[in-house]
Amino acid sequence: MNSRFPLFRKRDLLVFLLAAVLAGVGFWQWIPKSGAPVAVIEQDGQEVRRVELDSIVQPETLILEGEISVTVLLEPGQVSIIHSDCPDQICVNTGTLTRPGQCAVCLPARVAVRIVGKIESGVDGMTG
Amino acid sequence: MNKNIAPSSIKKWTAVAGAVVILLAAILASMLLYPQSSQGYEATTWAMGSYIQQTLYGSGTEEAATQASSAVNELENLISWRVADSDIEKLNSAAGADWLELDERTINILEQAVSVAEATDGAYDPTVLPISSLWNFDSDEPAFPGDDKIQEFLPFVGYEFLRINTEDNTASLRNHGNGVDLGGIGKGAACDAALKVYKESSISGGIIAVGGSIGVYGEKPDGTDWRISVRDPDEDTQDGLGVLSLKEGCVSTSGSYEKTFIEGDNTYHHLLDAKTGYPAESGLVSVTVVHESGAISDALATACFILGLEDSLPVLKELGASALFIDEEHHITIAGDLEFEQISTAYTVSRQSL
Repeated sequence: MNSRFPLFRKRDLLVFLLAAVLAGVGFWQWIPKSGAPVAVIEQDGQEVRRVELDSIVQPETLILEGEISVTVLLEPGQVSIIHSDCPDQICVNTGTLTRPGQCAVCLPARVAVRIVGKIESGVDGMTG
Repeated sequence: MNKNIAPSSIKKWTAVAGAVVILLAAILASMLLYPQSSQGYEATTWAMGSYIQQTLYGSGTEEAATQASSAVNELENLISWRVADSDIEKLNSAAGADWLELDERTINILEQAVSVAEATDGAYDPTVLPISSLWNFDSDEPAFPGDDKIQEFLPFVGYEFLRINTEDNTASLRNHGNGVDLGGIGKGAACDAALKVYKESSISGGIIAVGGSIGVYGEKPDGTDWRISVRDPDEDTQDGLGVLSLKEGCVSTSGSYEKTFIEGDNTYHHLLDAKTGYPAESGLVSVTVVHESGAISDALATACFILGLEDSLPVLKELGASALFIDEEHHITIAGDLEFEQISTAYTVSRQSL
């Protein structure tokens, strides 16, 4: 078919490929990340670290220096505050976090460790 | 149908294919620009000595979160007695002297505080500062002030000393030595301030937690109720003892486990009975109150803890609130119309109509 209007020209293929790549990237960005829990560590309202819990292979301790220093332990699938110089130790007593929605807060040090991700039958907040 | 494909037909199909590709690209571009709304926008900040967490859904979430956060900060600078030049600091300094013109927001909260004080016969009392500053629970070193001191300052506590004129937004404290401490209502009032911002914004739903006070607005993307877990006083586990489902309004909890210190053989908690000047002993461990107003729910949680279960019931009815009581015998009493799903089996549950 030597028509003036072939179905595809090389240039069209290029455009199509580009669109396909863009579509792929867009979709990847858009899909909810299947609820893979992500630990978010914040100090004074600023995000210090964000790590997908399932991607952790080796335990890692993260020391947040400050007037009150706090030590966070990142392990495969879980995170916890293991040490704080604060007087009340509420953050340390909160224990280990494994699921989206959970959080441990050290008020005196203004450090928060929480797990975000798609919450399955979880809760939206906690009172008490 | 013509089985021969004419050049004009090919042109048409190419055009259609092109249009489809452009349409798909447009959809994907919009997906990129408007990320999955069901994930929600989260913001965490610090104010009022608390960790503040917001999760907002829909459009304009980031802007709404920022505005709500500023509203809470502004409120703290108005109503905290510790902040120099705050409305309450000025009011306390002028005790026994002048009437002061205050911000309308401060006046509204003072009014709500007095309304709860009146309804609870002073179980919750915003003028508790002379006593609360003796115990100093919000400091690093709270201490038993001694009975002499308590008896000396107790006569300065009384909500009738606080006078409010809503016509010209003025207030005064009658005697030198009186003082207002809005610690028992501030976090709930902060939720109200945030909910007001949400209502005026374009978001479809949102939740704010200021410490243990929570306010919810609108709908979640999946249309289900907001689920608020209630902390288990015995164990600091993440799941809590059960979950309250809420369509709208605010929740606050007062628990004797929150701020405590041990001195000698005694453990002291921060929920002070303004009548005795000592931590309240009503057989309760915590009270969670649900009300459309955060300020009222916060003040009522304190009041009901001090009043105890029996005396709280008529107050809850009068103010249109419902509550969940946990007593020292591991019994949960749900007063009013609350949707509660029990998780911990360490507690028994009964219901009480109002």
